[in-house]
Order: sequence, then C-alpha cells, then structure tokens
Amino acid sequence: MASSVRLYLSCIRNTLEAAMCLQNFPCQEVERHNKPEVEMKTSPELLLNSVVICRNEAEKCLIETSINSLRISLKVKQADELENILTKKFLRFLSMRAEAFQVLRRKPVQGYDISFLITNYHCEEMQKHKLIDFIVQFMEDIDKEISELKLSMNTRGRLVATEFLKQFI
Amino acid sequence: MACFERASPALKQILLQLYRADKPVAVEHHLHEFGSLQYHIQSYVSEAHHVYLSISTPILSTGSSILSGFPHYTIETVKGICHEVVQIVEPAKTGYQLTLKLDFSKIPRKKDAVKIITDISSVQAVILSSQLRELLKNVNDQEISQGTYKPIKLVYPPNEPFYVVKQPAKLTVVFPIRFKEHSDIVIAKAFFQELVDVGNSGACARAPPCYWSPIPPPELRGESMKDLSTNGGFVLFEIYARHIEGKKLDKTVWNLLNFNALVKYHVKCTKGFVQRRMRSRLQSLVEALQQHTTGMEEEDHNIAKVKGHRRMKKLIKFTRGAILMKRWNLRNRIKRFRSRIRIRGFQRRWLKLPSFTSVMSYHKLEKF
Repeated sequence: MASSVRLYLSCIRNTLEAAMCLQNFPCQEVERHNKPEVEMKTSPELLLNSVVICRNEAEKCLIETSINSLRISLKVKQADELENILTKKFLRFLSMRAEAFQVLRRKPVQGYDISFLITNYHCEEMQKHKLIDFIVQFMEDIDKEISELKLSMNTRGRLVATEFLKQFI
Repeated sequence: MACFERASPALKQILLQLYRADKPVAVEHHLHEFGSLQYHIQSYVSEAHHVYLSISTPILSTGSSILSGFPHYTIETVKGICHEVVQIVEPAKTGYQLTLKLDFSKIPRKKDAVKIITDISSVQAVILSSQLRELLKNVNDQEISQGTYKPIKLVYPPNEPFYVVKQPAKLTVVFPIRFKEHSDIVIAKAFFQELVDVGNSGACARAPPCYWSPIPPPELRGESMKDLSTNGGFVLFEIYARHIEGKKLDKTVWNLLNFNALVKYHVKCTKGFVQRRMRSRLQSLVEALQQHTTGMEEEDHNIAKVKGHRRMKKLIKFTRGAILMKRWNLRNRIKRFRSRIRIRGFQRRWLKLPSFTSVMSYHKLEKF
C-alpha cells in the first residue's frame, strides 16, 4: 500500500519537474496584460498536453501546463461518507484561505477536490524544487490529516457513547 | 450543558443567594431556559425566609391528547421533594402552571441546605420524569389490538417525538432522528455506530441494548408516514426491569428524555473540534510554505558567490563606491591625506581628489 503511494507521488514529482519550465509571456490578446495562459486557454499554441496521473478510480492528479503557468488539480481518496464530508470541509476551508498559500486556487477545477495555480512569478520568487516538494508534501499531509480527523471523531464518539451508557448502570 | 443537569444552575444560584442573605430583600427574577422553560422567583421584605417559585414548562404530551395542567401524580411527586420546605400555592401565578412557596427557615442544617436547594432546583426534571414514569406504569391500560402493544408516542419539546413500545418483559424506546444538514447526518451515524459497538461490548453489558436502523422498526408499523420519515434513521433502546428498579428509574427516564439533545450537542461539538483542527493544520501548512520561501532567500547569497557572471557577482557583492575605491586605489591615498603629520604650506585645497564620473552615466563626446 505504501509502495503504491510512493510510486504515485514520485510519478507526480517527475512530471512536475518536467512541466515546471515557465517563463514570462505577455498576453497576446490584450496589450500590457500578463495572464496565466493555462487559465485563459485562448491560444492553443501556448498550451502543452495535459497529463492525468491516476492511482485508482478515486485518486488522480491532473497537470495542465502552458508557457507561463501550470495548474495542478488533485482528487483525494474518500473511502466512505465520513471521509467524504471531512475532505470537502477541509479542502474548502483551505481554498477559502488561498491567499495564505499564494499558489492555491480559490476554486478547484471541476471534477477535482483542490487545485494549484503556479505562474512564472512564483517560480521566480520560490525555487522550483522547493515548490514541487511542497506540493508533494501537501498531498501526503492531506491524506494523513483526513485519516487523523476520522480517527479522532470515532474516538470522541466512542467516549461519549461510553459515558452515556454508563449512566444506566 | 444545562439541559443534561437535573438542577437548573441559575435557579440554584438565586435560591442559594436568597438563603444566605443576612436580611430579607425584595427580589424578583424571570428566568428563561432551554426548552421553553420559565421560572419566576419572588421574595418580599415583609415575608422573611419565604420565597415564591413559579414554573411554566412544556408538558410531555402523548400526541393524541393534550394535557392541560399537571396531573395529580405529578403534584404528589413535587410535594415529595421536601414536604417541610415546599408548599404548593393554589391557584398558581398567572401565566405559570405551578407556584411553590419555599420556607427556608424549615431547612434543618446548613450542610443540608445545598442538597435541599439542589433538589428544589430540579423541580422541572421531577415534573417531566414523573409524567414519563406514570405513562410507563399505565401502559397496561392502553389500547391493545390483536395481541400487540400499540406504541405510545411522546412529544418532548421542541417537537421531537419518540415512541415507547411495551413488550413482554421489556420496553422498547424508539427515537426517530432528523437533521437539517447532510454533514450532521453523517456525523450522527458515525456516533450511532460507536454507540451500538460500545453497547454490545463487555464494558457496558448491563446497559440497555441499543440498535440503529435506517428504516422504521417493525414495532412502529401502522404509525403515520409523517412521523416515520427521517433522514438519520431510528435508534432503539431496550429497557429491562433491572434498568428501572429503585433509584435507576429516575436516571433512566432522564437519560431517555435528553437523548435527542445529547446527539445534537455531540454533533455540534464535533463540528467545532473539526474546525479547530483545520485551523491549526492550516497554520502548519502555511509555515511549511514560508519555510520553503525563506530557505530560498538564505541561499541567495551563497549562490551569488558560486555562480553568475563576474561583473554581476561584483555588482551583488560590492557597492558602487567600493568598486570606485578599488579601481582608483584611493584607500592608501586617503590614509596619506589624513596623516597626523602636517606640513606647513600644504593645505587641503592643494590636494584635490580626482573627479570621478559615473560608470553608468553617458558622456557626451566633444566635437572635434
């Protein structure tokens, strides 16, 4: 199980290292404007082929690249209803505070749980390999946090149930 | 949470203050508590040691018949709280269902005062418990059709009905669960799963067995669809004789009355817990990103030393003044100028520094 996660993450890391070659490119449509081309999608010659890396049906990663920007969308595994609502709540919580992360997108791409938007300016301010490390670490942390939240909720429920039933004894 | 305690904390505090007051004071309090419960406390200067307590509480109704006023067994139970201290005043104060006259002078000792006042403060729990107890006792008189026991529907405010089904050797209490939000339903279902697991475990073997079902149980066959349509399923408790004998009856009745409130409170606390965890995790993730960013700035200086064009390296490491000083070898000259040995006749104005032009500025060429 752990080995398949490692393979999945290393595949994403290698793809990001190849895809994260961004440079400044002003908008061809409007002068004096500089827009992330992966979001606008107005000029097909500026877009690269998007890559989907699937671990299984429930977990996948979409990497879309353009000349000056890169978009990474993640679908996190959700085994049951409880993990489903925890993932939704947590990722929505993070997305609403996207300005704290700089590279996080406020709204995920349709069909995915969370999205990152990395532009050439981010690559100038931060190191490329550090950014990739952060994204891979983020994916691991999300899985770990959801599992811990689920475990904590079940533990709390068990404690409350025990105390409630003890009152009958 | 106040509704889980039998004694009202606010009422208890006010009664204790009145009991401990050195001299009689004129006091009037109106208390409103969870579940449409109202208290009115009044004391007069002319009547020392006497306090009038009026209560208005929603009655546990059977759904089919609306009870107006308290039945006689409830009145008898209230009188039994502390018959020397508590007297029922007829008629009750306007707008209230019951008025009690408390005589603090009849409280035996100071040590017992807190216990007696606590018992008085739990009068609402006594009223509700007595009603449910009496309903359970009178189940034999209820309609029995075709050898089956008809479920008794009890409506506990605010409009949360539950059913009591009397069966041979046991009572089954069924709680239909309803929530407004989908996330609440999921959290509640996880809690019910843990409740069933703990109930079936050895630690709580003597507790009433509990079950959860997404569909109405067979005991509720024939009830109206409106009451049986839920989104959180049905929780069943099987109460046996050992759970209602002696002093356990009060605990069992109070726990059953507050089960719905407990579930809702647990869901609310769980959501608050999840929110706190998310905030702390957000903080740690932002710090991790900032560490990556600050790590870049610390390595900048080292990278400038190793890589880069020679002129760029110089521009990074040296200021313009330092570059000029080095180029014209001025350091030694300035040292000589500032020497303490002064030679008469040699003044500063004779020693002029050469004029420097900026390396970045433009020099207009002179015309030949």
